[in-house]
Amino acid sequence: MRLTKEKLSSFYQTMQTIRLFEERIVDLYARGQVPGLAHLYIGEEAVATGVCGALNKADYITSTHRGHGHVIAKGAALNPMMAELFGKVTGYCKGKGGSMHIADMDEGILGANGIAGGGLPIAIGAGWSAKWRKTTQVTACFFGDDASSNGTFHESLNLASLHKLPVLFICENNGYGISVSQAKCTPIKDIASRAVAYDMPGVVVDGNNVVEVYKAAEKAVKRARAGEGPTVIECKTYRWRGHHEGDPNQGGRYRTKEEIQEWKEKCPILQFEKALLKEKKATKTQLDEITRATEEAIDEAVLFAKESDYPSIEEMYKDVLV
Amino acid sequence: MREITYCDALNEALRECMTEDENVVLLGEDIGSYGGIFQVTKGLQDEFGAERIVDVPIAEAGFVGAAVGAALTGMRPVVEIMFIDFTTVCMDMIINQAAKMRYMFGGKGSVPMVLRTNIGAGRGTAAQHSQSFHSIFAHIPGLVVVAPSGPYEAKGLLAEAIKNDNPVIFVEHKRLYMTKGEVPEESYRIPFGKAEIKRAGEDITIVATHALVGASLEAAEIAAKDGISVEVIDPRTLAPLDKDTILTSVKKTGRLIVADEGHKTCGFASEITAIAAEEAIEYLKAPVIRNASPDVPVPFSPPLEKAFMFGKDEILESIKKVIAYA
Amino acid sequence: MATEVVIPMLGVTVEKGKVVEWLKEENDSVEKGESIFVVEADKVTTEVESPATGVLAKILLPPGEEVPVLSVIAIITDPGEAMPAEYLGEGGRAKLAEPASAAEPVKTSSPVESTGVTGSTFSGPIKVVPAARKLAKDRAIALQSVCATGPGETITHKDILTHKDTGKTEQSQNISTLARRKAEAEGVSLDGAQGTGVRGRVMVADLAGGKLPATQTLGQGRAAADFDPEFGKVIPMDGMRSTIAKRLTSSAFTAPHVAFYSDIHMDPLLAYRKAILPQFEQKFGIRPSVNDFLLKAVALTIREYPMLNAMLKDDEIHVLPSINVGLAVAIPNGLVVPALTDVDQQGISETAAQRKELTGRALKGQLTLEEMDRGTFTVSSLAQFDVTFFTSILNPPQSGILSVGKTRDELSLNDGAVIVKKVATMGVAVDHRIIDGVMAAGFIQTLKAKLENPAFTFMHC
Repeated sequence: MRLTKEKLSSFYQTMQTIRLFEERIVDLYARGQVPGLAHLYIGEEAVATGVCGALNKADYITSTHRGHGHVIAKGAALNPMMAELFGKVTGYCKGKGGSMHIADMDEGILGANGIAGGGLPIAIGAGWSAKWRKTTQVTACFFGDDASSNGTFHESLNLASLHKLPVLFICENNGYGISVSQAKCTPIKDIASRAVAYDMPGVVVDGNNVVEVYKAAEKAVKRARAGEGPTVIECKTYRWRGHHEGDPNQGGRYRTKEEIQEWKEKCPILQFEKALLKEKKATKTQLDEITRATEEAIDEAVLFAKESDYPSIEEMYKDVLV
Repeated sequence: MREITYCDALNEALRECMTEDENVVLLGEDIGSYGGIFQVTKGLQDEFGAERIVDVPIAEAGFVGAAVGAALTGMRPVVEIMFIDFTTVCMDMIINQAAKMRYMFGGKGSVPMVLRTNIGAGRGTAAQHSQSFHSIFAHIPGLVVVAPSGPYEAKGLLAEAIKNDNPVIFVEHKRLYMTKGEVPEESYRIPFGKAEIKRAGEDITIVATHALVGASLEAAEIAAKDGISVEVIDPRTLAPLDKDTILTSVKKTGRLIVADEGHKTCGFASEITAIAAEEAIEYLKAPVIRNASPDVPVPFSPPLEKAFMFGKDEILESIKKVIAYA
Repeated sequence: MATEVVIPMLGVTVEKGKVVEWLKEENDSVEKGESIFVVEADKVTTEVESPATGVLAKILLPPGEEVPVLSVIAIITDPGEAMPAEYLGEGGRAKLAEPASAAEPVKTSSPVESTGVTGSTFSGPIKVVPAARKLAKDRAIALQSVCATGPGETITHKDILTHKDTGKTEQSQNISTLARRKAEAEGVSLDGAQGTGVRGRVMVADLAGGKLPATQTLGQGRAAADFDPEFGKVIPMDGMRSTIAKRLTSSAFTAPHVAFYSDIHMDPLLAYRKAILPQFEQKFGIRPSVNDFLLKAVALTIREYPMLNAMLKDDEIHVLPSINVGLAVAIPNGLVVPALTDVDQQGISETAAQRKELTGRALKGQLTLEEMDRGTFTVSSLAQFDVTFFTSILNPPQSGILSVGKTRDELSLNDGAVIVKKVATMGVAVDHRIIDGVMAAGFIQTLKAKLENPAFTFMHC
């Protein structure tokens, strides 16, 4: 499988957008401009980018509490995203959802989700829906390593496999459920091995390698569209920041500095950049230009969010029911 | 008019809606060839096929969540939870997902699904198959909660529930499944948020739900012989609630009894009582009485279960108590 | 079955009570609901009804001895029933309740519950359904005057609908046992007897020719002063005296007091009163005292200084909505402060009527707790004594009290000529925690201005 320069360049742009967006949130959160909880995706950009790179606009994703990367990769616009994080009326959810609930039906984003494991059944519902409506849409369901301990994971894999639903189960294994390491949560080494119990393929990929993630996802998408059923893809990766902004010392109470540093050296963006330059798929100038333009877009998003109004109090009473 | 059972009325509504709209699908345990534990889906799988009438594994969170996802992406799924007791294992999907999506997505997306289930003691099924905690759902903004009291209501409200764009908790009642009543053959819808005055009266207002509507009407008939005029109101939907009809009646009669099978503490009966206290206190001529289930789990032993339950006689007692306040 | 008779719970703050008088003797037949003794607690006397029908077999507590409320003080047995052994012999004494239990609403065999609306002198809360309360308010019907027919003697909606203003029919039932007995003994007709008790109850004192001074009632049974050779005369503190002691001590040590005085020129008010008296009496049938004008002027001044109508509760200052001015009334055994309600909104005639009625009953020991608790400011006058000026201790939890000294003659210069002026020195003491000196000074100065220009002050009264 050969990837075009355009595709590779778009991966770089998506990963860089996620990274710079999140780095800006770090700053805004520290300044008290972004309220609530911010669960950042820095270090895991290759997963969302690789998976969503294999999807069409009409396909669906369900996301998690750590969802900024997923929705950016699936096509969410920066201005309404940033405004939502500020709690402004111009945000994706009119300021009523916030960081953990960004959704965009037009882009097939069925919502980030504040409940660990909460997105899995919804994803199979979307998959089932496509089957009932006889479309070729697939649904990619992102969840963390420890969500696989939840009953919804097992119920969903079982139902999806039983009914051969077009779903990709994307396990983002960053090694920790908040502060508890995977080893303390489950006796198994690879979450993907759980796929065996439900008679579906389960693959493990380097979650910091965007091309590898993309290739696995593309294969799973083909299988899903062909009506052959779901796949589990486990992407081994790492979150650089704490569980959320404010987690002391970026999770220093349960992770060593050495461990964090080790993973930073495996930065998915730097690795990808080196490979692109080495294989001459892009020039340094081109990449720098992408970075500069992304910075500019984020500056604009922050300005847009700051200048937007908060929702009126009357807005509180709207949208409870249709 | 012909008379059919509550169960058949529900079946008829499902059949009509499935015929009319192919996006209506049914998910539930044993709803296929078995026809559902209470036979509500009897014959539907033969008619519409196993793709649309799906027997699911015992995985309530999984298939209720699947209904949420399907509803969010264009389907109109109807799920059956065998007993309301089992909704506890899929509460996240109901309360955190279905009820919240439209609001937390800022008015984008909708979840047009129906969750059918049932309440009611009296069948010797003890503490995990007899509960009546429908009020819990009425506590949650973003859900419609329906309480059909008879066959006519069952058909018209279920048709409305399926066509409504909100997540609907459709709470049936075990003891009513076999009761018969007049039901039109043609399809019809009963609007949500509109109570029905089942019997007009001047002295006492009874707000009753489910099987207690019938019990209240019987009690009202007996009270009438003593010259006591009782008005019986069936709210039909607990959320949205038709407060106007209830308050208008309470302001007229000045005496309120609420009859609901939920537990007494923090239940639907308490809610109606609180509304009267908050918005019609100066019209009250007597204490408000809640006829509700005792605050204990439903016991198994027949004499205990009998003592747990209440109906016409207890409502009559309440009528006597409030009418003593002239 | 034997029924225990107890000193009833008379209010949440009442801890002790004593029998002033037994209205029945041992071995008398008693009817349930019939008054059998008079209790005094916290300055108030109340007739208590029998909790059962039968024979008053044993009186365990003689008049005059103070005991905790809920103490068992008598036994009623069925006719022919023997006395329970525990009350015979040495056991024939009152069974004292735990004093601390006063704070808890214990259900007892006492008739307290049922006395709210039946015309007894007990003044518990009146039970009334909300719709009736609203209707009574709309029709200006006093709930105290309504006959309750609902469950637990609750006033129902219909009770208000069918209510006629207190007529003779009701009054005929509202006669104290003692008064009825005395009337019968003396062959006096009770028809038309004007009751001065709570809710128009005819008391002994109301009987023509049967005047029984209230002081005697109050004094009866008071524990005799004992003589101790070492310390001289020992006087046990009774309910009223210990209440006064407790409240004033608490007030003096809780609220930092500060007082402000001013000399008030009284000639204008005295002349004004004299000028309007004949027509006033003719029109309203009541003779207003100087105090009535004073109470009214105080209320009007409080309107301008609402902090004087406030009280400190924990960390909050509560400014009260009604201006209820209490008037300290000296009675033979101490001092009581019944409060006139809404004085700022009433005409002088109403103020006078309220004052007259309340002081009248105060002297008879017939005030209700509510009448003494509702005050928001107090006026204490010693004008009848040769006291030039004095300070008062705040009546807790109030924040202001006015002391009124005698009106005296003073020489003064008027256009170079020496004239005689009537002057009274008044002082306001305030709770310095919530009222600053400037405000208190403003208050007394405004009051002075009002009293010295009565024609304007009472223009609309």
